[in-house]
Amino acid sequence: MRNLLNFLIKYNNWLLFVFLEGISFSLLFQLNHYQQSTFFTSANAAVGSVYKLESEVTSYFYLKTANKELLDRNIELEQQLANVRAEMHRMNVDSMGIDSIMAKPLWGRNLIRAGVIGNSLDKADNYVTLDKGSDDGVRTEMGVIDRNGIVGIVYLTTRKYSIVISALNSNSSISCKIAKNGYFGSLKWEGGDARYAYLDELPRHARFSLGDTVVTSGYSDVFPAGLMVGTVDHIGNSRDGLSFKLKIRLATDFGKLSDVRIIPRVNRAGSGLLKQAAMKQSADE
Amino acid sequence: MILVYFRRFIWFIGLVLLQVLILNNMHIAGFATPILYLYLILKFPSSISRIELILWGFFLGLVIDIFSNTPGMNAAATTFLAFLRPSLIRLFAPKDMTGEIIPGIHTVSLSFYIKYTLTCVLIHTSVLLVIEAFSFLSWQILLLKIGLSAVLTFMGILAIEGFNKKGI
Repeated sequence: MRNLLNFLIKYNNWLLFVFLEGISFSLLFQLNHYQQSTFFTSANAAVGSVYKLESEVTSYFYLKTANKELLDRNIELEQQLANVRAEMHRMNVDSMGIDSIMAKPLWGRNLIRAGVIGNSLDKADNYVTLDKGSDDGVRTEMGVIDRNGIVGIVYLTTRKYSIVISALNSNSSISCKIAKNGYFGSLKWEGGDARYAYLDELPRHARFSLGDTVVTSGYSDVFPAGLMVGTVDHIGNSRDGLSFKLKIRLATDFGKLSDVRIIPRVNRAGSGLLKQAAMKQSADE
Repeated sequence: MILVYFRRFIWFIGLVLLQVLILNNMHIAGFATPILYLYLILKFPSSISRIELILWGFFLGLVIDIFSNTPGMNAAATTFLAFLRPSLIRLFAPKDMTGEIIPGIHTVSLSFYIKYTLTCVLIHTSVLLVIEAFSFLSWQILLLKIGLSAVLTFMGILAIEGFNKKGI
């Protein structure tokens, strides 16, 4: 006993050091695996309120560019709409049909408006903190978009704040397709430049050109089909050489995120049950 | 005594806010972020007990982590630095130097201060970025990130040091 006490007194620095490093690393691995650990993130109330105060001040700096981008996007969309209308008219389709197509991607969903209060670009795993939480109807696994394109997927929520796995996160994987021909793959980020991500495993026989638009595929519940993701910037080969790997220039400017919309999930109880049944079956086998 | 702790606490809060509200938004050349909060750890007088220093390091890192959604990373790196600091001071301090050492440009010799600060910054940045990257980034990018961040941090610390003549 005496020896033990002597030992503890002699090496107390070491013990404290090992103990605190142990806590640090358990926190590190906890966020990755245990979804309820909201206290040690910026979704906790005290930290959230500091960030909210900050974003209330800084959001004014971006108003001018945000406005300009909105105008540009508006003009672009109006142009597209006019072209589509003209084309449809030429093909003798009535305008009711066109309207129903144009309204499709987010039809019938009440988007939740949220402000970005925390964001990062330079880490291996980036998260975005939003000022809306479960009280406002935000749930995990909802998709998040901003005026230019997709942002990420809600990861955890507290009552007033929520944290989003941004597309700039090593764990992020968003199902996307080439708008023109429907070839799909999943969008991954590989660190480094925050303006680019990669779309891997596109088949060899697919044909693309630089500047092709990439949109969400709609194969998951999170994002409806047809939301803007980015444009093809470079066409390369995947590591095994069996498929294409496209470098995508993201439409969203993650450095200037300020206002985003959260897409509530449509009630697809059926598909959820189906998935559960399928998973159960594959687990049984 | 209370006044000393009060001053340290103000520094603690000031450096945390500087880091999370301003510096974390800086990505120079897309890679480097200055990490100035560790100035607090570098600046303690050498008479501080190792245990107290480790505790300061841990809680400083933890608060930064909570703000920047990186649970444990900064805490681990800063605790590590705080643990090593007494040995580093012993390693670099001139042999004829006795009594309490308060690391600073105005208080110790320039060569000691630069060697000490640079080593601490490099150790901290390397540990932090290696934990963050694990195997995700390629090692070239990792080295570039470590180098750039360390240089920026070093310059930032010298800048704060230039203004702060009184110590903490």
